[in-house]
Amino acid sequence: MAAADSPSSALRRRDLCSRGIRLAGKMRSDVVDLLDTYVERQGLDASLSVAAVEGVPTAAVERWDEQTGTQRLLENLAAYRAFRVLLAQMLEEQREQLGEADAPLGRALASVLLQVSAFAYHLEELLRLESRGPPSEERAAPPPAPHLGLFERKLRGLGVLRELAQWAVRSVRDLRQLAKPGTGSSSAPGPAESP
Amino acid sequence: ESHTQYERVGADVTMKCGSMDWDAAVTWTANGTDIDESHLNGSYLILKNVDLTQSGQYSCYEGSSWHLKYQTSLRVGTPPKEPVLMCRSNNYPKGFYCSWHLPTPTYIPNSFNISVIHGTSEMVCEKDVFLKNRCHIRYLQLFSTVKYKVTLTVTNALGKNSTTLTFDEFAIVKPDPPESVVAKPVPNNPRRLEVSWQNPSSWPDPESFPLKFFLRYRPLILDQWQHVELSDGTSHTITDAYAGKEYIIQVAAKDNDIGTWSDWSVAVHATPWTEEPKHLTTEAQVTETTSASTSSFMPPPTTKIYDKGAVVGSGAVAVCWTAGLVLAAYGVLFI
Repeated sequence: MAAADSPSSALRRRDLCSRGIRLAGKMRSDVVDLLDTYVERQGLDASLSVAAVEGVPTAAVERWDEQTGTQRLLENLAAYRAFRVLLAQMLEEQREQLGEADAPLGRALASVLLQVSAFAYHLEELLRLESRGPPSEERAAPPPAPHLGLFERKLRGLGVLRELAQWAVRSVRDLRQLAKPGTGSSSAPGPAESP
Repeated sequence: ESHTQYERVGADVTMKCGSMDWDAAVTWTANGTDIDESHLNGSYLILKNVDLTQSGQYSCYEGSSWHLKYQTSLRVGTPPKEPVLMCRSNNYPKGFYCSWHLPTPTYIPNSFNISVIHGTSEMVCEKDVFLKNRCHIRYLQLFSTVKYKVTLTVTNALGKNSTTLTFDEFAIVKPDPPESVVAKPVPNNPRRLEVSWQNPSSWPDPESFPLKFFLRYRPLILDQWQHVELSDGTSHTITDAYAGKEYIIQVAAKDNDIGTWSDWSVAVHATPWTEEPKHLTTEAQVTETTSASTSSFMPPPTTKIYDKGAVVGSGAVAVCWTAGLVLAAYGVLFI
């Protein structure tokens, strides 16, 4: 706790949080645009309800306000690492399916994938600052994408992007909580911290 | 023993005098007034095509003894039409409330039942302390993609009706308007007005869930509004006010990331600082106002977005930079 509370690390944490918030904000905006493009290019109906997709980290969380700073960072990191894999799979499938025919969608997917990777790295930096390094990522090959028909794959992609959009909003909120003065990595912030 | 009877508007109503035989001699009264025999069929009271004015206390008395044999309260009304339901979160992320009303009155008592379903779980909607057509739901989860389904059923003695709303967590977020909007002239600055406001008190955590604001202003004499969007801060200086003109100013709020804009705040009025004391220039101002309203020019509509770095519009530059520096300095102090 001592290292995390020093003035210089507090400043660095605040700086990382502000930049992270901007990254997440831009990422969310791009994911929302990507969702529109995806729905259109894949010939889907935007109002389609997609059941919970297996292997996709859900942003929904109970008692969000009671989470500690470290919990927030760990959950975010696990989510974005998973999205990195999922988006890479989607990009691969999309290239196979449409070849070079849909460059705009491919480019948009690639751009979001890049931002997801950058954000994951950013979260790792924040975790290092919490004097607790980020958990090592399993370098084993990711589980193979489930064998799905074309339509099921499109629905899965929709589910992935929707959940990612939610995560981007949650990440902004999480980082703002983290940036609050007096928030220790292991202490859960109360709604109003009296001095 | 007293009864209550509910009947639809336009229905034909037959009232029996308790256990009296059909051919018994009886007298019926409506709210104490005798009813003419033409409405009787034996001892039965026949009311055809009832209307609302016929609601009241109906009593039946035995002919000779004037014993009260039967009494009923007739309530004429209608079955409920489809209710109007609205749900909104003005206190995100704590929860949301749902509010309802009937488009037309039924004139008889109604009971409401609301159900809130999120995925597979049923959520509790707590009745509002003061308002009987409102209840409150606490969010158990945040950032969920699963939609909420709210069904309101209204029932009365003559029928029932219901309506359902389906929405997701972000869509219904709409803060209350900003509070305590104050607009003041700036001494020695005939074209400036300083506006400040506060976050709505219902918004529980503006630090973690900051609001952004939309300001609109116009001189009373013109119809066109000027707009400014502010991504942070609860104050703004208008720098292009027309000298000596009274302005009307309003502010709206929105969560920085999700949901929709609030309604406009209460309007405030202010006039920029003028050089001479007012009581000496009343006549001159009246003349000025008259001539201004007949002029044909219209100020171009401008929407200025104030971000920490971006600045649009000459003359506003200095103010924005200063405001930006002050905000940045303030931000550093908050570490």
